[in-house]
Amino acid sequence: MSRHPLPRRRTAPSPTAPSATSTSTDGPTAAPASGGRPRLALPLTALAAVTALALGACSAVTPTTGSGSGGSGTAGAAAGPGGDTFGEPVSADQVKQGGTLVMALSAEPDQLDPALSRSLYSRYVFHAMCQKLYDVDEKAQIVPQLATALPTTSSDGLTVTIPVREGVKFADGTAFDAAAVKASIDRELTLKTSARRSELGPITTVEAPDATKVVITLSKPFAPLVAALTDRAGMIVSPTQADKLGEDFATAPVCVGPFKFSKRVPQNSIELVKDPNYYDAKNVHLDAITYRIITDASIRAANLRSGDVQVADSLSAQDVPTLQQQSNLTVLSSQSLGYQGLTVNIGNVNGVGSPTGTIDRPEAKDAKVRQALELAIDRKGLVKVIFNDLATVACSPISPSTQFTSEAAQTCTEHDPAKAKALLQEAGVSTPVQIPMITSNNPDSLRLAQALQSMVKEGGFDLQIKPVEYATLLDQQDRGEFSLLQLGWSGRIDPDANITNFVGTGGSQNVAGYSSKTVDDLLAQAREEQDVAKRRDLYGKVVEQLHQDDPLIYLYRQRNLTGVSNTVKGVQVFPDGVIRVGASGLAK
Amino acid sequence: MRRYLWGRAWQSALTLLLATVVVFIGVRALPGDPALALAGEDRSPEALVAIRQKYGLDQSVLVQFWTFLGNAVRGDLGTSIRTGQPVRDMLATALPVTVELSLIAIVIATLLGVGAGVVAAVRRGRPAEWVANAFALLGLSVPHFWLGLVAILYLSVATGLFPASGFVPLGDGVVDNLYHLVLPALILGTGLAAVIMRQTRSSMLDALSTDFVRTAEAKGLKPRVVVTRHALRNSLIVVVTIVGLQLGGLISGAVVTEQIFGLPGFGKLTIDAVFQRDYPVIQAVVLVTATSYIVINFVVDLLYSVIDPRVRVSGEAA
Repeated sequence: MSRHPLPRRRTAPSPTAPSATSTSTDGPTAAPASGGRPRLALPLTALAAVTALALGACSAVTPTTGSGSGGSGTAGAAAGPGGDTFGEPVSADQVKQGGTLVMALSAEPDQLDPALSRSLYSRYVFHAMCQKLYDVDEKAQIVPQLATALPTTSSDGLTVTIPVREGVKFADGTAFDAAAVKASIDRELTLKTSARRSELGPITTVEAPDATKVVITLSKPFAPLVAALTDRAGMIVSPTQADKLGEDFATAPVCVGPFKFSKRVPQNSIELVKDPNYYDAKNVHLDAITYRIITDASIRAANLRSGDVQVADSLSAQDVPTLQQQSNLTVLSSQSLGYQGLTVNIGNVNGVGSPTGTIDRPEAKDAKVRQALELAIDRKGLVKVIFNDLATVACSPISPSTQFTSEAAQTCTEHDPAKAKALLQEAGVSTPVQIPMITSNNPDSLRLAQALQSMVKEGGFDLQIKPVEYATLLDQQDRGEFSLLQLGWSGRIDPDANITNFVGTGGSQNVAGYSSKTVDDLLAQAREEQDVAKRRDLYGKVVEQLHQDDPLIYLYRQRNLTGVSNTVKGVQVFPDGVIRVGASGLAK
Repeated sequence: MRRYLWGRAWQSALTLLLATVVVFIGVRALPGDPALALAGEDRSPEALVAIRQKYGLDQSVLVQFWTFLGNAVRGDLGTSIRTGQPVRDMLATALPVTVELSLIAIVIATLLGVGAGVVAAVRRGRPAEWVANAFALLGLSVPHFWLGLVAILYLSVATGLFPASGFVPLGDGVVDNLYHLVLPALILGTGLAAVIMRQTRSSMLDALSTDFVRTAEAKGLKPRVVVTRHALRNSLIVVVTIVGLQLGGLISGAVVTEQIFGLPGFGKLTIDAVFQRDYPVIQAVVLVTATSYIVINFVVDLLYSVIDPRVRVSGEAA
């Protein structure tokens, strides 16, 4: 659920302007990574970017990615699709028993309650202490976790039956069973400030006919349901503790997991200790995990290098080349399911969710102008210059690493400034077309904005960059107080969660004010369709229509860059972006 | 005297109220909606409504203010919108960190500053003075955040002498606690050390040229005794004043230092709250800061009259 400009998580742009920390909501999170280095002159960076593009030169950095060969840091790590390095599972003979692992978190998790949590960072902590009905594997496939098998769906798509594990206990020693699952899902549906309700779709009832079976009834078929159960919606909390603490559950969360909550020092750290009640406790190697909040990317990298932490998330693309040269570290790099892009305000005049209106600007009135803008952007150049190739080109909201990808979904518009100019002429607008663009005010977002600005000039556009502080950016985009906006989305397993809210009519994040009957119909069909191949085709068609209308110009997919010390084994990052340290151990 | 006290107390309360009003309106005038910042993915109108209701953001500013005031008087500072924790608890964990950091910084700065100042004065015109002056200039001109980064790079990453960041509460071990605070306190103290050094140097130079020092020297006392017992002692009065005056600056410097070293102090709490539009926390922070300033001023004013009888408090019959 994170929309954000640049790489997924926000980190402090610089120690003097540490914007990030706070804004770690799943919502649009602004930016990335290049942490605390003082940036001397942004215009210089832009100049360098332009020069590099003009020369066709790329940076001398070896990417971690790329045909499996990888950079120096990737040795030994399992390569996934697209040269991703997800890390390897550990075998018991590689690690010592006991010890504490310290992981640096780029922002402070919010409430440690699966029903209320809205921040990405809480997912890292949850992973070790709150297991879910389903999980995803390295290939972004859904696999059972607290469930024993994939759910069975009735032929009309309205009844979903989930078999759940037996003989499992919560960290407080109470029994986990179908009734607990029902209680947990009901809680997510009824808590007033629940962040899960909309993810769960049109659920009418949840029942537990016996201890090992949960039956969910829907008012309409809802294909994305299972994918939602691979995230917080599928985390089952102890009913005893939930009853006792209610909305304060986050102060002492109890779930099923290899570790259990020990203590939290606000702004500083969260500590988990091994849970003896965990059903697979014999395969848990560590005694404890400490998550330390270190918001600045370069400080996080420094802690990794000094050995103060063993794992660090959201490394800056700027720091990766240096880190890869360290013999005692590994950099895991995997493509995220999200995207970064530009949103054009087409009809958002009264705020998101309100009826759309007419905006008297060339890029709002005429799709040709938006197509020209897309043609003027050189995505490959952007990825190379700004991210050292530690990001991949994106032309649609469908990640190529999921089963919903297709040729239609991955078709890209090639960079063609001449054609862009011709299209603008056809549209009858005077060039250069001036467009103000709001973007987050952190260094990486600004670098991106400046590179875009110099790029689209050739195509007949004059971008005026308006950097705003993150919370303001959120406000302006929802109110519709922008012409062009640079933000992104961290991505979900099911494509519906990456598309419908953003381009569906009246969608809760449709800040473009876009409305297309064709797209709406296709999305509704895809939501109710259970067959993967059919859904794949439907999403391909959605992408085709989006390329015609261009309310959102997809730019690139950020990579999850995770630093791991060689003193630990078994740290993995999966396509959902969650770093998994629960099964790891200290190296022998 | 009693009338004076009452007058000052009313004045203080009024100042506090005004500060609260200004901040209350000020944070709400900022663009950016806390509900929006918190809602994230679930930005459905219903979710936003629920969040606004829960934190009372749907009520008029006047009602919100009245509620806040009423609760604050009873010692309840509300609940953080971001973390859901009571604001009072958050302050209770953050304040000691900043106070400890500042105290250690003062100690380090005083030791360094006085030491270097004495050396510079005694070794006037020699290389030692040149070195001390260069350090003072550096301490004054180099920004904290840069110095912090350099320190982390060389003292933590390269040599592993200090932890790069993090904090261990005093209760979890004094040694560990100090170990984590020494480097940030050193960085924080550099500016203050430079000021102290310059002040010590000039006061020492004055003192060294006075009659009583000449008398002491003429008595045949050892140079070390002359410098420490006679000259330094008399110079320190000014230094102590300077340290006091610099306290405020130290707290603001702590904001940056806490950010770099990841210390969960008051400064970090404030910054995080502002960026997240966490109104209750921002309000509480301002309230606490304003209160402490007012109390300090009050106490200082009272102390003046105690220390120097010539300072009379107004309102008292002469």
